[in-house]
Amino acid sequence: MQDIIRQLDEMRARARLGGGQKRIDSQHRKGKLTARERIELLLDPESFEEWDMFKEHRCTDFGMAEQQVPGDGVVTGYGTINGRLIFVFSQDFTVFGGSLSEAHAEKICKIMDHAMKAGAPVIGLNDSGGARIQEGVASLGGYADVFQRNVMASGVIPQISMIMGPCAGGAVYSPAMTDFIFMVKDSSYMFVTGPDVVKTVTHEEVTAEELGGAVTHSSKSGVADLAFENDVEALTMLRRLMNFLPANNREKPPVQRTNDPAHRLDFSLDTLVPDNTNKPYDMKELIIKMIDDCDFFEIQPDYAKNIIVGFARMDGHPVGIVANQPLVLAGCLDIKSSIKAARFVRFCDAFNIPVVTLVDVPGFMPGTAQEYGGIIKHGAKLLYAYAECTVPKVTLITRKAYGGAYDVMSSKHLRGDVNFAWPSAEIAVMGPKGAVEIIFREEKGDPEKLAQREAEYKEKFANPFVAGARGFIDDVIMPHETRKRICRSLAMLRDKKLENPWRKHGNIPL
Amino acid sequence: MFKKILIANRGEIACRVIKTARKMGIATVAVYSEADRDARHVEMADEAVCIGPAPSKESYLVMDRIIAACKETGAEAVHPGYGFLSENEEFARRLEEAGVVFIGPKHYSIARMGDKIESKKLAMEAGVNTIPGYNEAISGPDEAVEIARKIGYPVMIKASAGGGGKGLRVAYNDKEAHEGFASCVNEARNSFGDDRVFIEKFVVEPRHIEIQVLGDAQGNTVYLWERECSIQRRHQKVIEEAPSPFLDDATRKAMGEQAVALAKAVNYQSAGTVEFVVGADRSFYFLEMNTRLQVEHPVTEMITGLDLVELMIRVAAGEPLPFAQEDIRRDGWAMECRINAEDPFRGFLPSTGRLVKFQPPDESEGDVRVDTGVYEGGEISMFYDSMIAKLVVHGATRAQAIARMRAALNAFVIRGISCNIPFQAALMSHPRFISGHFNTGFIAEEFPKGFDATMVPYDHPAFLISVAAFIHRRYMDRAARVSGQLPGHERKVGDDWVVLKDGVQHLVRALPIDNGYLVHYEGEHYEIVSGWRLGEPIMHGVCNGEEFTLQLERHGMAYRLFHWGSQVDVNVLTSRAAELLALMPAKAAPDLSRFLMSPMPGLLREVAVAQGQEVKAGEKLAVIEAMKMENILRADQDCKVKKIVAAAGESLSVDQVIIEFE
Repeated sequence: MQDIIRQLDEMRARARLGGGQKRIDSQHRKGKLTARERIELLLDPESFEEWDMFKEHRCTDFGMAEQQVPGDGVVTGYGTINGRLIFVFSQDFTVFGGSLSEAHAEKICKIMDHAMKAGAPVIGLNDSGGARIQEGVASLGGYADVFQRNVMASGVIPQISMIMGPCAGGAVYSPAMTDFIFMVKDSSYMFVTGPDVVKTVTHEEVTAEELGGAVTHSSKSGVADLAFENDVEALTMLRRLMNFLPANNREKPPVQRTNDPAHRLDFSLDTLVPDNTNKPYDMKELIIKMIDDCDFFEIQPDYAKNIIVGFARMDGHPVGIVANQPLVLAGCLDIKSSIKAARFVRFCDAFNIPVVTLVDVPGFMPGTAQEYGGIIKHGAKLLYAYAECTVPKVTLITRKAYGGAYDVMSSKHLRGDVNFAWPSAEIAVMGPKGAVEIIFREEKGDPEKLAQREAEYKEKFANPFVAGARGFIDDVIMPHETRKRICRSLAMLRDKKLENPWRKHGNIPL
Repeated sequence: MFKKILIANRGEIACRVIKTARKMGIATVAVYSEADRDARHVEMADEAVCIGPAPSKESYLVMDRIIAACKETGAEAVHPGYGFLSENEEFARRLEEAGVVFIGPKHYSIARMGDKIESKKLAMEAGVNTIPGYNEAISGPDEAVEIARKIGYPVMIKASAGGGGKGLRVAYNDKEAHEGFASCVNEARNSFGDDRVFIEKFVVEPRHIEIQVLGDAQGNTVYLWERECSIQRRHQKVIEEAPSPFLDDATRKAMGEQAVALAKAVNYQSAGTVEFVVGADRSFYFLEMNTRLQVEHPVTEMITGLDLVELMIRVAAGEPLPFAQEDIRRDGWAMECRINAEDPFRGFLPSTGRLVKFQPPDESEGDVRVDTGVYEGGEISMFYDSMIAKLVVHGATRAQAIARMRAALNAFVIRGISCNIPFQAALMSHPRFISGHFNTGFIAEEFPKGFDATMVPYDHPAFLISVAAFIHRRYMDRAARVSGQLPGHERKVGDDWVVLKDGVQHLVRALPIDNGYLVHYEGEHYEIVSGWRLGEPIMHGVCNGEEFTLQLERHGMAYRLFHWGSQVDVNVLTSRAAELLALMPAKAAPDLSRFLMSPMPGLLREVAVAQGQEVKAGEKLAVIEAMKMENILRADQDCKVKKIVAAAGESLSVDQVIIEFE
């Protein structure tokens, strides 16, 4: 018995060392932490329960039989973040470059299956060179097993991918199907084909960082949701995000009591919207001032900045915030911002997080680039997402809500539960100038008359009252009471019940 | 007494005058430009009249409009504040002709004091000390050199119509006198349309000390002691105090009596200020007389207990002064910091934009006073002066006044624009300022290369480290109270933390106590209690029985703390996280030298180079206009323009890229 225990200790010690001290040092030199160090930072101290520490691959080809490392390049198990259950896998680059073998995939699948049963999120810390080539199709099969589980878990439990090293080829598709992808600057990259293949095929010279680094994906492609400076920051911030998310789709998001009074007034908001309707202002100021404790966890802050999405709390309860940003492209909707917001709204809807929408949108972005790019279908995604969404929806129009974009942005017609407007709101088919140029086309040659018509139009439509008269707006509220009114609306909606008709699945315009 | 007065000004001074008028039961009329539609003075006044577009030349300086506004509203008198039309003889005269009382001196007093050469002559006649110099217009550089030799170097060459530091040169020898004269004449001609220049003795280690005088229509004139205004940056006053730490009673009395003599000589019937330069040997010389209420008048009010605006109004209404010279008190010490919308870390460039947060320290009768014309959510426009508030404190002693000022600066929250609070706080803790041994060269000597946050000595880093631990633990404890935890496996927040500051790890232990934490650090205990709410930018608390106030921001993982002018970034981590963070590579900051970035928000007036152009160091690259000032951006080094990113006419934000270099 004593021998067995001694043997167990030895085996554990060996497993903990992964690919050995030399490779651990090399990992550190690259500015990366090891798989186990990462888990230590991610989870509450001493909460990690490891499984399959002694699991080994079964490959015998290419001399692999002699190369056995317990754990086979991935550390899996569960633990807690702020006492809440989380399943985690963390790929170990020091063991066969973190490459995915059949056994490695089985370990991941095992915790995913458990996460589904227990109803708890899965966090993947990705640091892998790709498929274990020596294993051939067995390794590919392993990937697909993970993919299938990603899809089955989608919308059931939150899945988060943290890319902390290479992630190339087929490997990218598991993170791609999770809810959020985060990356670490300078030490992680994601691409379907690497710089060498790119050079041969398209003759483009590009570095791995430029092709698929954290900055590229968080600002250009929109593949990544956030980019962090280093592993420590990434994992610390991920802990912060997890406090906003429910464990699964049957649970309400976690409550965190606050000392920030729900009825707090902020009079500075009364001057947020400038008198001149063409002057931009920072929508983030409204977000920060209306939420609990100024604590806003923004998603995709560097991508499609004309729309802001992120998590916050109001009166202790998590909300997803979607807001047009007048500072960028006048806050208009385009392909990128529609996709960004649509995906976020669907996440919130899947996980019972109420959506608060702040609207200042002059319309959809015109131009050939947008039309050729398929703005019709992409814009429709956001429309679809809002229309399908059954969680509480509170909408506030701060200024412009023009045309189809008005409809899209969580309008009453798309089952908006509470729709507010500030007195500065202008709800109309289009801006006064464009409108009179069409209605009074025959007066086009007479700028004076047109100006007068514009003034008339403004007087009539550039306000929230026409929409209010039809009940499209539930109330016109003063900016300073925004927090109070939204908190109260959300409290009223806390037990909202709404179900869409049964179907296999809808057909969102992909 | 008047029933209604009009205030021909804006900003803090308009608000300040309205306050007194209201106290006296007088109705008020504000005037405003289109840019000031939502300004605080408009809100405060009983009535308001729009007098034109944003530029002051088209609004606050248009006499016709203001006189018309008086007629329209039935205002019986006009208080001009300072600046704008306050020292405009024509304005005072035209108001008088229109039957409206000018709350200020008579127009002839303004006229006689308005011209530097004229006023100096008058002062000499009135027996006031004047600086040895030559008071006639000078024909050319050769004559200038001759005169300079007669007076004895160093000499000062000054434009007759000059002010605010413009048109002023100091010469230590013939060559400098020759050159200085020529450039001074040029500048005077360009700036003031008047190329008369005079030369006088340059006083060594000069202090700027001014005497507040007050006269009535009955011929009574008193002086309300002095104000020390030597803390200046580029001839702009930064801190003023009363009394002066330098004057003795005899000098004070002599200066006061000379100031009164001068005021009497021009039949001065209002509040006015006689400025003196005082040398290291306490010799003092008349500089000029300001025939208006000064920006810094509150320090005089704080030590005398008088309301100067009220007295101006009473005197203008024909009432005699209610006291004699011997009745005037001089209690304790008062100090004023001018809070300007400018960025001390970027060469004090003006800062404009929305006041996202504006929370001045709490006022307390007789101790802390805040005069301001702005409010949270207001807009600092580029059209007017950058001063947005005056922070005034009073203490029994100078040391107490400084302590109060430091505390008040800690509690002054301004966000959205940059302001000079860190610089003011740095001055307040500067040993030379504290000692009182300074002169008008103080800022130029102590901050020759400008100001940055590292220059602020911080004498109690352990306190900041303990507060950082407090803040972090409060965040962690709250996060640990989230719902949905596994029963029996709830999160327990640890007591031991590492505060990482400037790359150094500090081990702390933070134990929960009632409404705070007991922090152990390096063998010391810091019992910190505070009702600070997460997310608030300001934290009031008590540390080991002593009250403190500091400001903070959360940036990602880091906390940025602001205290006594210092700005410190800290991370608070578990010891394991700190250990692992140490393994992370330090990343070099991105190379920004390849970009010309806008140092301030403003209008891009001009891009002076073209794509592909080779540029030599010092060459003009672009011109930005902000707060009426043109700022020329020059090349730091030789370079070649790769791309012009911003176009002329564009509105720029801070750090927006204008030009990219190769």
